Amino acid sequence: MNVSELLSEQAILIPLEAADKSEVIGKMVDALAASGCVTDSAAYLAAVTNREKTGSTGIGFGVAIPHGKSAGVGKPGLAFAKLAQPADWDSLDGQPVSAVFMIAVPEAAAGNEHLQILIAISRKLIDEDFRSRLLAVREPAELTQLLQTI
Amino acid sequence: MAKKILAVTACPTGVAHTYMAAESLAKAAKEKQVEIKVETRGAVGVENEFTEKEIAEAHAIIVAADTDVLESRFEGKPVVKVPVAQAIKDPNGLIDRALDMKAADADDYLRQVEKTKANRSASRSGPYKHLMTGVSHMLPLVVAGGLLIAISFIWGIKAFEVEGTLPAALMAIGGGTGAFGLMVPILAGFIAFSIAEKPGLAPGLVGGMMAAHTGAGFLGGILAGFLAGYSALWLKKAIKLPRNLEGLKPILLIPLLATAFTGLMMVYVIGEPVKAIMDGLTDWLKSIGSANAVLLGLLLGAMMAFDMGGPVNKAAYTFAVGLTASQVYGPMAAVMAAGMTPPLGLWLATLIARKKFTQEEKDAGKSAAVLGISFITEGAIPFAASDPFRVIPSIMAGSAVTGALSMLFGATLKAPHGGIFVLAIPNAVTNLGLYALAIAIGTVVTALMISILKKTVN
Repeated sequence: MNVSELLSEQAILIPLEAADKSEVIGKMVDALAASGCVTDSAAYLAAVTNREKTGSTGIGFGVAIPHGKSAGVGKPGLAFAKLAQPADWDSLDGQPVSAVFMIAVPEAAAGNEHLQILIAISRKLIDEDFRSRLLAVREPAELTQLLQTI
Repeated sequence: MAKKILAVTACPTGVAHTYMAAESLAKAAKEKQVEIKVETRGAVGVENEFTEKEIAEAHAIIVAADTDVLESRFEGKPVVKVPVAQAIKDPNGLIDRALDMKAADADDYLRQVEKTKANRSASRSGPYKHLMTGVSHMLPLVVAGGLLIAISFIWGIKAFEVEGTLPAALMAIGGGTGAFGLMVPILAGFIAFSIAEKPGLAPGLVGGMMAAHTGAGFLGGILAGFLAGYSALWLKKAIKLPRNLEGLKPILLIPLLATAFTGLMMVYVIGEPVKAIMDGLTDWLKSIGSANAVLLGLLLGAMMAFDMGGPVNKAAYTFAVGLTASQVYGPMAAVMAAGMTPPLGLWLATLIARKKFTQEEKDAGKSAAVLGISFITEGAIPFAASDPFRVIPSIMAGSAVTGALSMLFGATLKAPHGGIFVLAIPNAVTNLGLYALAIAIGTVVTALMISILKKTVN
């Protein structure tokens, strides 16, 4: 699977220094803007924040998956961050988060192919094996390699 | 039988939680060795969508969603409803809750039948929908007219011929000068109304009136309705007027032109040949020999059971109701009797072959009995949906036998609906005893066939 179209080098933040959840989100949105996925950071940030308000995206096991669908997104994209210090995310299991995937989806339905990749990654996060390998990732190349296996 | 669980997942964005929840549930079910199917409603559309059959067979349904998942589909089934995140957090607990859900009770069964009926009428389209709109508007006239005529016979079969008496008044209200006289016009009018909305109504009513008066009967009325409706619809689109004259279209041009066209067609083209067909049909039916009567009864009966309220059933039903406008009441009796036996036969089967039904189905059988005596053939659908190849031939056989016997016994019925409740109205049914016998025999045939064909539940 070709994940590189979705996840550019600029959007892989290992490690990410951030004080709390909102700073993590802010920095990841900036990274997605830098990589060209997000065209209007403020609009996308609002979508992500609103999504968090309806219920935390911390799915447990130290992983969070904040996401937003917004007109501020030019093309579907992905960002990944390994947090230097685990952050509180109001997760489903109450545990702090140390690996974060951020998903950006355009308002208008784009090519299904990209969405399918994002969906496949989401599904994969339920797999314990995949999660433990994800939490052990230390550099960008390792991450892309892991994602290629999906 | 192992319990099957269905689950549907959805979230507002539709890329993350929908699929994580689906994956969690599938994984947990696999570990617990529970059969599950997960429908996902996400950004790439609906995947793994449930069929009606799967919903009918499911023990319970898990709805893990923060958006709409068309829950009306599950009416009558036990549903565990939670936010989508719950399925990620505790899939095991959710599956346990679903397995512990009590099976559908009798009320749920009735709701399930109600839902199937509603879905079916909503999904009708094209000419079939238009015809059914016409038939459904005609039915109250048939009910009122037929029963008032029947009641007038209490004073003697010819009592209405004495002017100024109550029977004469009842006949005037119910018969050709009243309710029955309006049947075909209303049928045609509402077929046209369904096609072209308001501009179709007037030409449809007029065409139907002419069909009634020229003797073209319900067949002429159906044709008139479609002619009127489609001509009005065509005129609505074809006539282009300057904006300030546009108002003339619906109140002057369409009624005038569509009515003239429909009327002229009825007079010069359709009226005569259709009248000849109707005359031939009614003469044949009135003088029908017992062999042909039995064949007609077999056919109408099997049609009533074939799709339990679907298009084939409605074709037989419409045929029978239409004939009452020509004072032919035998097929109406056969059709109603044959429409009652499928749910009744299933109910009887749950009593005599207890090992072949789950507890859930045995409870549902009681509801089916109520639907059967009320002439709601759809009451057999939940049974047929979960085991079509054994149930449908059984109910068709029972209904065909009942239809044939009803025709053979010369039973007639002057009301188009009502089940056993209409039997209590004096003179609504002729040969009441034999008519009831016909229904009983068909019920037994269906029950025996199902008892033989169905497999024992383990």
